[in-house]
Amino acid sequence: MLKRFCLLALALLLFLTGCAGFTGGSEGTQASEGKTEDGKVKIDFWTFWGSEIRRPVIDKIIEDFNNSQDEIVVEHTYIPFGDIWTKELAAIAANNPPDVVINDINATALRGQEGQAENLAPYLEKDDISGRFYENLWDTTLYEGDSYGIPFNTDTRLLFYNKDAFKKAGLDPNKPPETWEELEEYAEKLDKKSGNTYERIGFYPLYGVGSDVWLLNGSGMNYFNEDDEPVINSETNVDTMEWIKSWKDKYGEDTINRYQSQIDSQQSNPFFNGSLGMMANAATFYTQIRDYAPDLDFGVAPLPEKTSGNGNTSWGGGFVAEIPKGSSHPDEAWEFIKYLTDKEAQEYWAVKNFDNIANIEASESAAASDELSEKDQMVYEMAAQNLNETLLTPMPAYAPDYVNLINPQLDAILIENKPAQEALDKAQQDVEELVEKTAQ
Amino acid sequence: MKKKKWWTMGRRESLQGYIFVAPWVIGFLAFTLGPLAFSLYASFTDYNITSRMDFVGLQNYDQLFTGDDLFWTSLYNTLYFVIFSVPLTTIGAIFISMLMNQSLPGMRIFRTIFYLPAVLSGVGVYLLWMQLLDPGTGLVNTILSWFGINGPNWLFDPDWTKPSLIFMKLWSVGGSMLLYLASMQGISKNLYEAAEIDGAGAWKKFLHITLPLITPVIFFDIITSTIGSFQIFQEAYVMSQNGSGGPASSMLFYNLYMWIKAFQSFDMGYAMAMSWILFVVVLIITLINLKLAPKWVHYEGDDK
Repeated sequence: MLKRFCLLALALLLFLTGCAGFTGGSEGTQASEGKTEDGKVKIDFWTFWGSEIRRPVIDKIIEDFNNSQDEIVVEHTYIPFGDIWTKELAAIAANNPPDVVINDINATALRGQEGQAENLAPYLEKDDISGRFYENLWDTTLYEGDSYGIPFNTDTRLLFYNKDAFKKAGLDPNKPPETWEELEEYAEKLDKKSGNTYERIGFYPLYGVGSDVWLLNGSGMNYFNEDDEPVINSETNVDTMEWIKSWKDKYGEDTINRYQSQIDSQQSNPFFNGSLGMMANAATFYTQIRDYAPDLDFGVAPLPEKTSGNGNTSWGGGFVAEIPKGSSHPDEAWEFIKYLTDKEAQEYWAVKNFDNIANIEASESAAASDELSEKDQMVYEMAAQNLNETLLTPMPAYAPDYVNLINPQLDAILIENKPAQEALDKAQQDVEELVEKTAQ
Repeated sequence: MKKKKWWTMGRRESLQGYIFVAPWVIGFLAFTLGPLAFSLYASFTDYNITSRMDFVGLQNYDQLFTGDDLFWTSLYNTLYFVIFSVPLTTIGAIFISMLMNQSLPGMRIFRTIFYLPAVLSGVGVYLLWMQLLDPGTGLVNTILSWFGINGPNWLFDPDWTKPSLIFMKLWSVGGSMLLYLASMQGISKNLYEAAEIDGAGAWKKFLHITLPLITPVIFFDIITSTIGSFQIFQEAYVMSQNGSGGPASSMLFYNLYMWIKAFQSFDMGYAMAMSWILFVVVLIITLINLKLAPKWVHYEGDDK
């Protein structure tokens, strides 16, 4: 018995010394203030790009940067999407943050206000790179006129349509719908019923995007106007919600749910087999078509306008590279960010990942890259063009979580048949109160 | 001489005792009591984790009670969940453990099967249930359709989201089943034999022997599952659209709303105020439970 106890104690002791060895080791590297043995500055770079597709691409960009100069070494740390920003926040609070982090573009101004990210204005004064990027992306990174993150990638919503289905329905496959009215007309022609069940439906606005995208498309603006006042219950927004509701009523709950579960399962997306004629989706939806339905004959177009001349406004998001507050090597971090958002790295990312990027010049040359197939180029070009009409939805620093007040009302209209005017009035009132409270 | 007396065997032993519990006490002070006290203080500030911590008095609490509809929605959702899930899972667990308490060949296999869901946990289970509850192609609605029942939209219908979660919780009662089963196995066979001689049937035996003797476990189970249900978070975070508690805020539970306030709006002071309100609510309910306990919980060997 005693012998066994001794053995156990010994094992425990060994284990503990093992732990001590570990901590001692990591303290050792920190003690040298983030420098490698040959005196280079080490930069800790956090991303959530760990997938088979993205990781090699970002690792290659980092490797190229490391080889391009001999003062800075960037080390990539992959952290899953669900954890990265809470971890970053904890690291900032603990005064031990990484040096560069990829973060959500729409909350950049908020992070600036809260003092989570370094103000990049001093660096931009020295070398102004703001002209590299699409204007709406750049503006989203500003808080009180100063940038707190440099745009990296972005996305946009397009209309995908099935050319074969168009031909079968007697529509011109080279003439996608341009207005909401045409969208309805085309959908009507594309609908195919056998008995009581739909074999093909033309279009349903909420496959691939949310009702907020159509609100944006209809009104051509965000939920807030230039004076930062909420505009939620406008006439056009009420109209848009009623329009979406009319689609829901047209096809009925059962059909909509049946299609939705097929869409959720990805491979059997009804758009791939022709049982959904048109679909609004992110431009990168194309990679799914390429992988799961390579023979599909499809076209892409901007989102239709509400009425002719209203504009094809689309919605986008994206990510920035930022320097967390308290980084020990902000100057070196800035050098890396500059490289990351410069033409070469951006174009490489765009072509290898088929992703929209923030750099205009890189975006244009990616669309013409030899590495892309003909179809790739067609979609990419349309997407790059569409970025000029794409709005972002920055979280206003004075009411960061306002969407939580709007979305339940949008749900109420579509699910609980609440009158659109009443629901949007309520949302308007709630958001106004929130803004007022925060202003106090 | 005096000094020697002070250093008695008793003191020596208690010092040793303190040294042995020291790691735990230090851990408690540094990692539990410290943050607890900090969060109480921070709930009276506009703490934002990184750059701001100004005292604002009762403003957070005032805003919560008088100006925040979503706070009340989240509290309602959470209470709804607690009120249904706690009794249902308790009854479910007792029922299953009664069945598992029979001596039939192959019972061990059944016990394992029913306990299995308690072993599986976390996001994997939620994703599985999202597929099971899919309105169009999910297994649940497919089975219902065999009986001519048109299944609901489960996680997409605001009226059905919370029942969906309760339904899911019922599936994993295996954990508390084990507690009941252990307690039932400990009941002396003599009691049942005596009751049989007196002519008691199965139901009478359950009502007058089994149930009273497992009340301590029921009590324990109710307290822990009430506290656990108040803290429901992951389910809603994973299973609601965009993790924001939709559709129509029907899955916006208290802790989810708190999380959104803390880590999306960075309004940590506000979130900490919320956590203290929850603490008080749970404390009151637990105290009521403790107060009521002597009326129905039966401890063997008690003089009463």
